[in-house]
Amino acid sequence: MEGTTRVCDLMHKGVVFCRPEDNLKEVAGIMKENGLRSVVVMHESGEVWGLISLLEIIRFYGEDLEGISAESVMQPYKIHVDPQWPIERSIELMKKRRIEHLIIVDPHAGPKRPIGLLSSYDIVRYMAHIPSGQFEHMLRLHTANP
Amino acid sequence: MEARVMSLMRRGAVTCTENMSVREVAQIMVVNRIYYCVVVNEDHEVLGVISARSILRGFGMDLDRTKAGDILLHYTVTITPRSPLKEAINLMCRRKIEHLIVVSDHPGSKTILGLLHAEDIVARMATE
Repeated sequence: MEGTTRVCDLMHKGVVFCRPEDNLKEVAGIMKENGLRSVVVMHESGEVWGLISLLEIIRFYGEDLEGISAESVMQPYKIHVDPQWPIERSIELMKKRRIEHLIIVDPHAGPKRPIGLLSSYDIVRYMAHIPSGQFEHMLRLHTANP
Repeated sequence: MEARVMSLMRRGAVTCTENMSVREVAQIMVVNRIYYCVVVNEDHEVLGVISARSILRGFGMDLDRTKAGDILLHYTVTITPRSPLKEAINLMCRRKIEHLIVVSDHPGSKTILGLLHAEDIVARMATE
Protein backbone atom coordinates (compact mmCIF):
# COMPACT_ATOMS: atom_id res chain seq x y z
CA MET A 1 0.00 0.00 0.00
CA GLU A 2 1.34 3.40 -0.96
CA GLY A 3 1.40 6.35 1.40
CA THR A 4 1.58 6.77 5.13
CA THR A 5 0.38 3.94 7.35
CA ARG A 6 -2.06 5.30 9.89
CA VAL A 7 -3.25 4.07 13.26
CA CYS A 8 -6.65 3.17 11.76
CA ASP A 9 -4.92 0.78 9.33
CA LEU A 10 -3.51 -1.40 12.14
CA MET A 11 -5.84 -0.96 15.10
CA HIS A 12 -8.51 -3.42 16.23
CA LYS A 13 -11.84 -1.81 15.68
CA GLY A 14 -14.16 -1.95 18.67
CA VAL A 15 -13.17 -2.41 22.31
CA VAL A 16 -13.96 -5.06 24.88
CA PHE A 17 -14.85 -3.27 28.08
CA CYS A 18 -16.03 -3.67 31.63
CA ARG A 19 -17.90 -1.25 33.87
CA PRO A 20 -16.22 0.53 36.80
CA GLU A 21 -18.48 -1.33 39.26
CA ASP A 22 -17.72 -4.81 37.85
CA ASN A 23 -15.75 -7.01 40.22
CA LEU A 24 -12.32 -8.48 39.46
CA LYS A 25 -13.65 -11.98 38.98
CA GLU A 26 -15.90 -10.69 36.21
CA VAL A 27 -13.01 -8.76 34.65
CA ALA A 28 -10.78 -11.87 34.77
CA GLY A 29 -13.60 -13.78 33.05
CA ILE A 30 -13.85 -11.14 30.30
CA MET A 31 -10.09 -11.40 29.72
CA LYS A 32 -10.16 -15.19 29.66
CA GLU A 33 -13.13 -15.50 27.34
CA ASN A 34 -11.78 -12.97 24.87
CA GLY A 35 -8.09 -13.90 25.12
CA LEU A 36 -7.17 -10.34 26.08
CA ARG A 37 -4.23 -8.81 27.92
CA SER A 38 -6.13 -5.68 28.87
CA VAL A 39 -9.70 -4.49 29.28
CA VAL A 40 -11.01 -0.96 28.89
CA VAL A 41 -12.98 0.37 31.84
CA MET A 42 -15.86 2.33 30.37
CA HIS A 43 -18.50 4.33 32.19
CA GLU A 44 -22.11 3.80 31.13
CA SER A 45 -21.96 7.23 29.49
CA GLY A 46 -19.55 5.69 26.96
CA GLU A 47 -16.46 7.49 28.30
CA VAL A 48 -13.16 5.73 28.92
CA TRP A 49 -12.18 5.79 32.58
CA GLY A 50 -9.20 3.50 32.61
CA LEU A 51 -7.47 0.32 31.58
CA ILE A 52 -6.88 -2.92 33.47
CA SER A 53 -3.99 -5.14 32.42
CA LEU A 54 -3.00 -8.64 33.51
CA LEU A 55 -0.67 -7.40 36.25
CA GLU A 56 -3.44 -5.37 37.88
CA ILE A 57 -5.42 -8.61 38.25
CA ILE A 58 -2.78 -11.13 39.34
CA ARG A 59 -1.75 -8.87 42.23
CA PHE A 60 -4.93 -10.05 43.92
CA TYR A 61 -4.35 -13.79 43.49
CA GLY A 62 -5.79 -15.64 46.48
CA GLU A 63 -7.96 -12.72 47.60
CA ASP A 64 -11.73 -12.25 47.43
CA LEU A 65 -12.01 -11.03 43.84
CA GLU A 66 -15.75 -10.47 44.09
CA GLY A 67 -15.14 -7.83 46.74
CA ILE A 68 -12.79 -5.73 44.57
CA SER A 69 -14.13 -3.34 41.92
CA ALA A 70 -12.59 -2.62 38.52
CA GLU A 71 -12.52 1.07 39.34
CA SER A 72 -10.37 0.50 42.42
CA VAL A 73 -7.56 -1.25 40.52
CA MET A 74 -7.67 0.34 37.04
CA GLN A 75 -4.96 2.59 35.69
CA PRO A 76 -6.60 5.93 34.86
CA TYR A 77 -6.25 6.48 31.12
CA LYS A 78 -5.73 9.97 29.77
CA ILE A 79 -3.97 9.44 26.45
CA HIS A 80 -6.08 10.21 23.42
CA VAL A 81 -4.93 8.79 20.12
CA ASP A 82 -6.55 9.83 16.87
CA PRO A 83 -7.11 7.08 14.28
CA GLN A 84 -5.60 9.33 11.63
CA TRP A 85 -2.24 9.64 13.36
CA PRO A 86 0.72 8.27 11.38
CA ILE A 87 1.74 4.96 12.93
CA GLU A 88 5.18 6.39 13.82
CA ARG A 89 3.59 8.85 16.22
CA SER A 90 1.77 6.09 18.09
CA ILE A 91 4.97 4.01 18.31
CA GLU A 92 6.89 6.95 19.77
CA LEU A 93 4.13 7.35 22.35
CA MET A 94 4.24 3.66 23.31
CA LYS A 95 8.02 3.79 23.67
CA LYS A 96 8.00 7.02 25.66
CA ARG A 97 5.23 5.94 28.04
CA ARG A 98 6.35 2.29 28.15
CA ILE A 99 2.86 1.06 27.44
CA GLU A 100 1.62 -1.95 25.50
CA HIS A 101 -1.81 -0.67 24.46
CA LEU A 102 -3.25 2.56 23.12
CA ILE A 103 -6.94 3.32 23.18
CA ILE A 104 -8.06 4.97 19.96
CA VAL A 105 -10.78 7.56 20.33
CA ASP A 106 -13.35 9.03 17.99
CA PRO A 107 -12.20 12.59 17.29
CA HIS A 108 -15.70 13.60 16.26
CA ALA A 109 -17.46 12.27 19.35
CA GLY A 110 -15.16 13.75 21.98
CA PRO A 111 -11.81 12.71 23.43
CA LYS A 112 -13.11 9.89 25.62
CA ARG A 113 -15.16 7.78 23.18
CA PRO A 114 -13.16 4.65 22.33
CA ILE A 115 -13.43 3.12 18.87
CA GLY A 116 -10.48 0.72 18.91
CA LEU A 117 -7.26 -0.55 20.44
CA LEU A 118 -3.72 -0.64 19.12
CA SER A 119 -1.27 -3.00 20.82
CA SER A 120 2.49 -3.37 20.55
CA TYR A 121 1.76 -6.77 18.99
CA ASP A 122 -0.21 -5.13 16.16
CA ILE A 123 2.92 -3.12 15.38
CA VAL A 124 5.09 -6.25 15.50
CA ARG A 125 2.76 -7.87 12.97
CA TYR A 126 3.19 -4.82 10.74
CA MET A 127 6.97 -4.84 11.16
CA ALA A 128 7.19 -8.59 10.49
CA HIS A 129 6.00 -7.75 7.00
CA ILE A 130 4.91 -11.22 6.06
CA PRO A 131 3.80 -11.07 2.41
CA SER A 132 0.22 -12.03 1.73
CA GLY A 133 -0.12 -15.79 1.37
CA GLN A 134 3.20 -16.51 3.08
CA PHE A 135 1.84 -16.89 6.60
CA GLU A 136 0.61 -20.46 6.17
CA HIS A 137 3.87 -21.38 4.43
CA MET A 138 5.92 -20.04 7.36
CA LEU A 139 3.66 -21.80 9.84
CA ARG A 140 4.23 -25.13 8.08
CA LEU A 141 7.98 -24.54 8.02
CA HIS A 142 8.02 -23.77 11.71
CA THR A 143 5.92 -26.78 12.59
CA ALA A 144 8.21 -29.02 10.59
CA ASN A 145 11.34 -27.64 12.29
CA PRO A 146 10.45 -26.70 15.84
CA MET B 1 -2.24 -27.10 49.31
CA GLU B 2 -0.19 -24.19 48.04
CA ALA B 3 -0.20 -23.89 44.25
CA ARG B 4 3.18 -24.14 42.57
CA VAL B 5 4.55 -22.76 39.32
CA MET B 6 4.57 -26.23 37.73
CA SER B 7 0.77 -26.36 37.94
CA LEU B 8 0.37 -23.47 35.49
CA MET B 9 3.58 -23.19 33.48
CA ARG B 10 3.61 -24.01 29.79
CA ARG B 11 6.32 -26.52 29.05
CA GLY B 12 8.76 -25.59 26.32
CA ALA B 13 9.19 -22.15 24.78
CA VAL B 14 9.60 -20.59 21.38
CA THR B 15 13.17 -19.37 21.13
CA CYS B 16 15.43 -17.45 18.79
CA THR B 17 19.17 -16.83 18.68
CA GLU B 18 20.97 -13.52 19.07
CA ASN B 19 22.21 -13.62 15.46
CA MET B 20 18.73 -13.66 13.94
CA SER B 21 17.50 -10.41 12.42
CA VAL B 22 14.80 -8.41 14.20
CA ARG B 23 12.53 -9.07 11.20
CA GLU B 24 12.95 -12.82 11.66
CA VAL B 25 12.17 -12.56 15.37
CA ALA B 26 9.06 -10.49 14.60
CA GLN B 27 7.97 -13.16 12.12
CA ILE B 28 8.56 -15.93 14.67
CA MET B 29 6.36 -14.03 17.14
CA VAL B 30 3.56 -13.50 14.62
CA VAL B 31 3.60 -17.04 13.24
CA ASN B 32 3.51 -18.49 16.76
CA ARG B 33 1.12 -15.85 18.08
CA ILE B 34 3.41 -15.00 21.01
CA TYR B 35 4.23 -11.69 22.67
CA TYR B 36 7.57 -12.78 23.95
CA CYS B 37 10.52 -14.69 22.48
CA VAL B 38 13.33 -16.16 24.56
CA VAL B 39 16.84 -15.62 23.20
CA VAL B 40 19.16 -18.60 23.73
CA ASN B 41 22.73 -19.51 22.86
CA GLU B 42 23.91 -22.67 21.12
CA ASP B 43 23.71 -24.65 24.37
CA HIS B 44 20.10 -23.55 24.75
CA GLU B 45 20.96 -21.36 27.73
CA VAL B 46 18.87 -18.24 28.24
CA LEU B 47 20.58 -15.00 27.23
CA GLY B 48 17.56 -12.72 27.42
CA VAL B 49 14.14 -12.01 26.03
CA ILE B 50 12.55 -9.97 23.29
CA SER B 51 9.05 -8.69 23.93
CA ALA B 52 6.66 -7.01 21.52
CA ARG B 53 7.69 -3.70 23.05
CA SER B 54 11.40 -4.40 22.51
CA ILE B 55 10.66 -5.00 18.83
CA LEU B 56 9.26 -1.45 18.68
CA ARG B 57 12.71 -0.19 19.62
CA GLY B 58 13.85 -1.41 16.20
CA PHE B 59 11.21 0.61 14.36
CA GLY B 60 12.85 2.86 11.80
CA MET B 61 16.03 0.75 11.71
CA ASP B 62 16.90 -1.73 8.97
CA LEU B 63 15.09 -4.71 10.46
CA ASP B 64 16.89 -7.17 8.23
CA ARG B 65 20.31 -6.02 9.45
CA THR B 66 19.57 -5.25 13.10
CA LYS B 67 20.19 -8.37 15.19
CA ALA B 68 18.15 -9.83 18.00
CA GLY B 69 21.25 -9.38 20.19
CA ASP B 70 21.03 -5.60 19.64
CA ILE B 71 17.57 -5.25 21.18
CA LEU B 72 17.29 -8.12 23.66
CA LEU B 73 16.72 -7.42 27.32
CA HIS B 74 19.42 -9.26 29.24
CA TYR B 75 17.42 -11.34 31.59
CA THR B 76 18.15 -12.49 35.06
CA VAL B 77 14.66 -13.02 36.44
CA THR B 78 13.75 -16.69 36.49
CA ILE B 79 11.69 -19.02 38.63
CA THR B 80 11.71 -22.75 39.24
CA PRO B 81 8.82 -25.22 38.81
CA ARG B 82 8.59 -25.96 42.54
CA SER B 83 8.42 -22.29 43.57
CA PRO B 84 5.11 -21.20 45.08
CA LEU B 85 2.86 -19.53 42.50
CA LYS B 86 2.43 -16.59 44.86
CA GLU B 87 6.19 -16.00 44.85
CA ALA B 88 6.16 -15.95 41.03
CA ILE B 89 3.26 -13.49 41.01
CA ASN B 90 5.04 -11.17 43.45
CA LEU B 91 8.09 -11.27 41.19
CA MET B 92 6.03 -10.48 38.08
CA CYS B 93 4.29 -7.55 39.76
CA ARG B 94 7.50 -6.17 41.25
CA ARG B 95 9.38 -6.34 37.93
CA LYS B 96 6.29 -5.43 35.85
CA ILE B 97 6.62 -8.45 33.56
CA GLU B 98 3.82 -10.63 32.24
CA HIS B 99 5.95 -13.74 31.60
CA LEU B 100 8.51 -15.56 33.69
CA ILE B 101 11.12 -17.97 32.43
CA VAL B 102 11.03 -21.28 34.28
CA VAL B 103 14.42 -22.96 34.72
CA SER B 104 15.40 -26.20 36.45
CA ASP B 105 16.04 -26.37 40.20
CA HIS B 106 19.76 -27.09 39.73
CA PRO B 107 21.80 -24.18 41.11
CA GLY B 108 22.97 -21.83 38.37
CA SER B 109 20.91 -23.56 35.71
CA LYS B 110 20.09 -21.46 32.68
CA THR B 111 18.36 -24.18 30.74
CA ILE B 112 14.80 -23.19 30.02
CA LEU B 113 12.00 -25.58 30.94
CA GLY B 114 9.06 -23.39 30.06
CA LEU B 115 7.25 -20.13 30.67
CA LEU B 116 4.73 -18.90 33.19
CA HIS B 117 2.24 -16.44 31.66
CA ALA B 118 0.16 -13.87 33.56
CA GLU B 119 -2.76 -14.62 31.24
CA ASP B 120 -2.86 -18.23 32.49
CA ILE B 121 -2.92 -16.99 36.08
CA VAL B 122 -5.84 -14.67 35.25
CA ALA B 123 -7.67 -17.54 33.52
CA ARG B 124 -7.34 -19.63 36.68
CA MET B 125 -8.53 -16.71 38.83
CA ALA B 126 -11.62 -16.40 36.61
CA THR B 127 -12.68 -19.97 37.33
CA GLU B 128 -11.49 -20.69 40.88
